[in-house]
Amino acid sequence: MSEENVRSDADLIELSKKDPEMFGLLMERYQGPLFHYIRRLTQLGSDDIQDLLQEVFIKIYQKLNEYDEELKFSSWAYRIAHNHIIDHFRKVGARPQTNSLEDYEWEKIISASVHIEKEIINKDCVEKVKGCIEQLPLKYREVLILRFVQELEYEEIMDILKKPKGTVATLINRGKDLLVRNMKEQKINCF
Amino acid sequence: MKDLIKDTIGKIKKEHIEPESKWKYLIRKYGMWFLFGMIVVFGAMSFSSAYYLLASLDWDLYRFVHSNRLGYSLSIFPYFWAVLISIFMLAAFFEIRKTETGYRFSLLKIFLITIGGIIVLGLTMSFLGLGNRFNMMMAEGVPYYGQHMMVTKESQWSNPQEGFLAGKIITSSSDEMKITDLNGKSWNVLLSETTLIRPKANVSVGQMIKIIGKSLSSSTFQATEIRPWMGGNMMGGDSGGQACMSVQTDCPMQKK
Repeated sequence: MSEENVRSDADLIELSKKDPEMFGLLMERYQGPLFHYIRRLTQLGSDDIQDLLQEVFIKIYQKLNEYDEELKFSSWAYRIAHNHIIDHFRKVGARPQTNSLEDYEWEKIISASVHIEKEIINKDCVEKVKGCIEQLPLKYREVLILRFVQELEYEEIMDILKKPKGTVATLINRGKDLLVRNMKEQKINCF
Repeated sequence: MKDLIKDTIGKIKKEHIEPESKWKYLIRKYGMWFLFGMIVVFGAMSFSSAYYLLASLDWDLYRFVHSNRLGYSLSIFPYFWAVLISIFMLAAFFEIRKTETGYRFSLLKIFLITIGGIIVLGLTMSFLGLGNRFNMMMAEGVPYYGQHMMVTKESQWSNPQEGFLAGKIITSSSDEMKITDLNGKSWNVLLSETTLIRPKANVSVGQMIKIIGKSLSSSTFQATEIRPWMGGNMMGGDSGGQACMSVQTDCPMQKK
């Protein structure tokens, strides 16, 4: 195992402040998770995601002195990415879409929200439910993705969204309830 | 993916991008907490002002104005300060939530921190005698408050038509006193055998007293009860301990 791999995030942050090359090691650790996070929250193509990701990493670099070691670096990085995505869509005046999720990622949200008796989910049914999830406001979609696709703990979601634990729990429950209600309204009952 | 790292590091170097100064961040971070502290200080000032009024008012006068305890208490309650305290508590809540780690505090924790800070600091200010000063400052700075909203011990006892009078004793005998009221007006206060003089009321010349009774004319007042100006007012309305039964008993007045 190389020396870089055993260094903690906090060590790499300190080194990055003096030498930008060391920041590359942090980027290497987190570019994958952050890339997928941005992909899941947006409908952008790979090149656009890379552009957004670069802007996110530059913001992270500029804010290195703000990093609080009480947080996990990943939560802090996700938070910056979250804020940047919101700002980006506000600037371009568009609404982020979630239909760039992979099928297995959709299924994670669906099975967390809906009681599924059958093991194999009907493809057509998944497509219909996708539509219902896409209709959810961003705040609910994002929290469902963080919890059930990224599989993050409540504490990490709290740190990313800067919201109290109770609010995070409420957003998750309301998101699930809203999804079930949307499905009922559209008479989707294929599980 | 490798290109992203190379491109980003290249951009950082080319554009001389550097981490923002830690000082800027610390100023922002502690600035938020400083603002929170200031809000608590203002809340505490309001608390000490309210406490001063609550502690100095006589809450048992409802018995003399044909009202009930609740109705009378509501009529003299310092709403102005209560509203200000509520506003400061709300502001403190939003301010603490805006801090870097504020989202981690539960509603209860924020409430306890804020109300605890306001009460402890407010009581300290009251102990230092600042409550009255804040009231006076507010009355001077906001005339409407002084004229229409501030119910003080002074306003409560400058109401001879309602039967409440206070002032400084100029002369005193067993059946009559001359006093100068809080507005500088002279009054002849008549005493009878049934006039109740509270034990702590010192009815010597030069002393401040509160008198409950009936206005007989524009300068004559029949006293039914005499209380000391200072002390013993908060909620209980004891106003000076056990009653000294009448002017005929062994009261401070007779000792003179």
